[in-house]
Amino acid sequence: MFRYYLKLGTRSLRRNPFLTALMVLILGFGVGTSMTAYTVMHVLGGDPMPHKSSQLFVPQLDNGPLEGYTPGDDPDHQLSYIDTMNLLKDGKGKDRVAIYGLSPTIDSGRADLPPFFEPGLATTASFFRMFDVPFLHGNAWDEAADRDGAFVVVISRELSERLYGDTDPTGRSLRIDDRDYRVSGVIDHWRPVPKFYRILGGGGAISDAEDLFVPFRNAIAREWNNNGWTNCSGGRNEPGFAGFLKAECNWIQYWVELPDAAAVAEYRDYLSAYFAEQKKLGRMPRPENFALRNLREWLAFNEVVDSDTRLQTWIAFGFLLVCLVNVIGLLLAKFTARGGEIGVRRALGATRMEIVRQYLVETVVIGAIGGVVGLGLSYFGLAIVDKYGLGEAGIARMDVPLLAATVALAVVSAVLAGLLPTWRAAQVMPAMQLKSQ
Amino acid sequence: MEIKPILSTLMRNKTGVFVIAAQVALTLAIVANVFYIVRDRLAEANRPSGVDEDNTFMIGVGAYRPVVDPMADIARDLAGLRALPGVTHATLANQMPLAQSGNNSGVSVDRSQQQISTSVAFYEAADSLVDALGLKLVAGRDLAPSDVIEIQVGENSPEGPFPVVVTQALIDKVFPGETQPIGKLLYLGVGPNADELRIVGVVEALTTPWGRASWGLANRGDVSMIVPFRRATDSPLYIVRTEPGARAAAMKAAEALLVKPGNGRVLGANRSMTELRERRYRSDRFMVGLMGTMTGLLLVVTASGILGMASLWVNQRRKQIGVRRALGATRFDIVRYYLTENFIVTGIGIVVGIGLAFALNAMVASELGLERLPLAHLGIGVVLLWVIGQIAAYAPARRASLIAPATATRSV
Amino acid sequence: MLQMRKLSKVYRTHLIETHALRGFDIHVREGEFVAVTGPSGSGKTTFLNIAGLLEEFTDGEYLIDGVPVRGLDDNARSRLRNEKIGFIFQGFNMIPDLNLFDNVDVPLRYRGFKAPERKARIEHALERVGLASRMKHYPAELSGGQQQRVAIARALAGDPRLLLADEPTGNLDSAMARGVMELLEEINAQGTTIVMVTHDPELAQRAQRNVHIIDGQVSDLEHVTPLARVAARGAEAAVA
Repeated sequence: MFRYYLKLGTRSLRRNPFLTALMVLILGFGVGTSMTAYTVMHVLGGDPMPHKSSQLFVPQLDNGPLEGYTPGDDPDHQLSYIDTMNLLKDGKGKDRVAIYGLSPTIDSGRADLPPFFEPGLATTASFFRMFDVPFLHGNAWDEAADRDGAFVVVISRELSERLYGDTDPTGRSLRIDDRDYRVSGVIDHWRPVPKFYRILGGGGAISDAEDLFVPFRNAIAREWNNNGWTNCSGGRNEPGFAGFLKAECNWIQYWVELPDAAAVAEYRDYLSAYFAEQKKLGRMPRPENFALRNLREWLAFNEVVDSDTRLQTWIAFGFLLVCLVNVIGLLLAKFTARGGEIGVRRALGATRMEIVRQYLVETVVIGAIGGVVGLGLSYFGLAIVDKYGLGEAGIARMDVPLLAATVALAVVSAVLAGLLPTWRAAQVMPAMQLKSQ
Repeated sequence: MEIKPILSTLMRNKTGVFVIAAQVALTLAIVANVFYIVRDRLAEANRPSGVDEDNTFMIGVGAYRPVVDPMADIARDLAGLRALPGVTHATLANQMPLAQSGNNSGVSVDRSQQQISTSVAFYEAADSLVDALGLKLVAGRDLAPSDVIEIQVGENSPEGPFPVVVTQALIDKVFPGETQPIGKLLYLGVGPNADELRIVGVVEALTTPWGRASWGLANRGDVSMIVPFRRATDSPLYIVRTEPGARAAAMKAAEALLVKPGNGRVLGANRSMTELRERRYRSDRFMVGLMGTMTGLLLVVTASGILGMASLWVNQRRKQIGVRRALGATRFDIVRYYLTENFIVTGIGIVVGIGLAFALNAMVASELGLERLPLAHLGIGVVLLWVIGQIAAYAPARRASLIAPATATRSV
Repeated sequence: MLQMRKLSKVYRTHLIETHALRGFDIHVREGEFVAVTGPSGSGKTTFLNIAGLLEEFTDGEYLIDGVPVRGLDDNARSRLRNEKIGFIFQGFNMIPDLNLFDNVDVPLRYRGFKAPERKARIEHALERVGLASRMKHYPAELSGGQQQRVAIARALAGDPRLLLADEPTGNLDSAMARGVMELLEEINAQGTTIVMVTHDPELAQRAQRNVHIIDGQVSDLEHVTPLARVAARGAEAAVA
């Protein structure tokens, strides 16, 4: 019977191509817009490290002055140099990493490639293992390089190709801000979305990974300023970079890996004890105030999915709802016009369920075509969002579940829209159509 | 008027009325809420910066070799820039309006304050920023060469007091209603040791490096001040103003002047004020475009729904329309009947929609960063939907009016 | 075949109560050709709707082929209609979107026959009404008489025991009407019971038996000439 209804449905749809096209288009637009908006939200709200996101934590410590303190304030997003060094030295947690942004110059010495600025990170070797960064050539520097602040560098595949073409540059020397660095490795294309490890000051949630990585201590020794967000509180700093390091300026992003709940509890105790200890040393004048957020909580706290994105999604689904009501109207008109046929079918022995089935199949056909149209429009919409909204191609992409969800949304929408008209169609009394037409 | 017969007809077509009214209601609720955002974003993206935007640009350079005497380099750079054809002013500065990178400082107006009064975009300029950006001085005087404080590499900012030029927005924020701001004191930070700043001039506007920042540090986006610092650096930023029409050429010439092969320099950014504005508000314009498109589509869909339902009703009532015509109704009477019917149905939707708009606003406003729904916007939405309803219903109404009175006597 | 006892049908609106049928008794035997006549509003159509299980009745008893139908749900009634009853409407009621083959196919689909059997039945039914050669045509391409023949084919395709016809010639000119009437007589001769509502006395006369309905009640006038008919108002002339 299903094939019979499919035949009847497609025939009926072909019979009135304008109305069919209108329904399919309206449904397609509704589904296309809402799935575009949803995909953007899904991508931005995605988990960049699903297998590890519950184990990666950001500690926050409130080192602000007593003036201007309001209970309930969140501690700053970043840590001061003093706290970073203390936390690194104490070595709590399974693994830990400190990060700050750089923008040094690279001088390739090649006449065809004049010196240029390149965004980079000062970090520790643990960065690559904690964040599962893939290596194309070589590997990260070792613990000794971390300790000594050695002149070693890890570069991105893009930078490597720019400087060295297709060859493996491991072991070669690279001139950064007038000093030679040994290339210890090249990372393969790596671009977590959202860029969770450096939401603040790193170009935003959707931006490229940095192109060069040097040991944290090396960057400090070279007195490289933070290329990112710096927030100072308290009085006047002592002069120079040394003064800056001693100041209550927060500019370093810090992550710690805590494998289980026990480790988290232990780390909280540690932070609490650390806060008290620093108080004794005359720092941290405010009442105990620290936070420990895992990756997902961190993304939520930083509102990676901003209110614009949420608003767009709301409006898009509101639009879908209007489209649905519209399709209800069109289906009502269509089915009402066929009251005579329904009466005849009922008189010839069709049960109500059979009428319902026939018309549901028809709406499913509309939904399926609308889904395909919606899919096309979603691709178009996402290309536009990539180009003008996110500023880069290939970010907002649909994966297979989203593709399926798009078509499913269209079919479910069509069926929902078809419920009332179909129910009304099934209510047509056979007797009423018997008297002359 | 024939309101009563229309109402009783509608009562017998409840589903159709529901479908149209629901669309109108949802559309009104969405459009009214979106309208505010679009207007707000457009206003922000077009807000005057106080800058002579057509004729200004910034150029920043860095060094890939150690710089021996940065002050001398800067002096030479500025002399060179000023000598370029079409260039009228140039200054060393620490940041550029709408360039999305720069410094903010908290200021207070009283040493006993615990909290800062506001956060201020902190422009440091060695020569007149008023000239270099084409700002409009509305009170007092510009900073003079004699005010300039030189800061060498590794040195901290000087202790106060020093003179500052502030924006009118800053005055409005910290000294509301003040008509004689010249000579007033501000403090950098809070507490007894905060540096003292003396206001010597007020500019009409100078937007911050971020415009209106989403994190609300500098509200309205033009709470700024200019301090007379010449800070030595190996990566200077210059703000340059040109004669009308000379900017593009001057930007090329400036780049060639500052970054030459082997001179140890790297180009940071060379951007016109026009480009900076475009980059800063790209996402807002995108949002406006998106919202506008959605609203447009929404209205089209709703209009098509009204059109479809009105056509259906006309088709269903061919005979009774014929009868009406036979009984003496003029064409105009028939058109008026259908337009009135549409006015009522749309009206039902609008009444529900007004409630829905407020409910939606109350439900999601805080989460989505919306403000309370302005009544004026709701009014615009109401008028818009009524007009669209009438336009959409006109074609079917006109078709109804063309039905021949003889239809009444035909059996089918 | 069709038996109604003390059947009544009351239409209620919030204002008034109308008795369409009251104390209605009729018995149509297997193989009969019964013509039902009566003035407008007498209850003819109501009778046919109830007989065809298209409408429910208020009170009394109705047996079709010995099966009581009172209290059957909509699905059971649909099935019974599909298997035992064929309909011929005044307005033909072809489905305009379907060609002749597919129109005749409609009840067979609901019957659940397999494709080969459906095909055989459709072809046979269309042959019986002389339209086998035009099965790919659409209703709009046929004359009224031809459409009514297709309607008859559609009614016959499922081998119903009972054929209900509502003014089958009402929309046809006299030549076409004669043809349709001859076809019905032929079908009746082959054993199908036919109940036909008509207001045409000439047509009614050709039936074996006439039933006259007035004011929702029956006056059975068996093999009488139209002239001999008297208004049987109030008479309980049930044939049971």
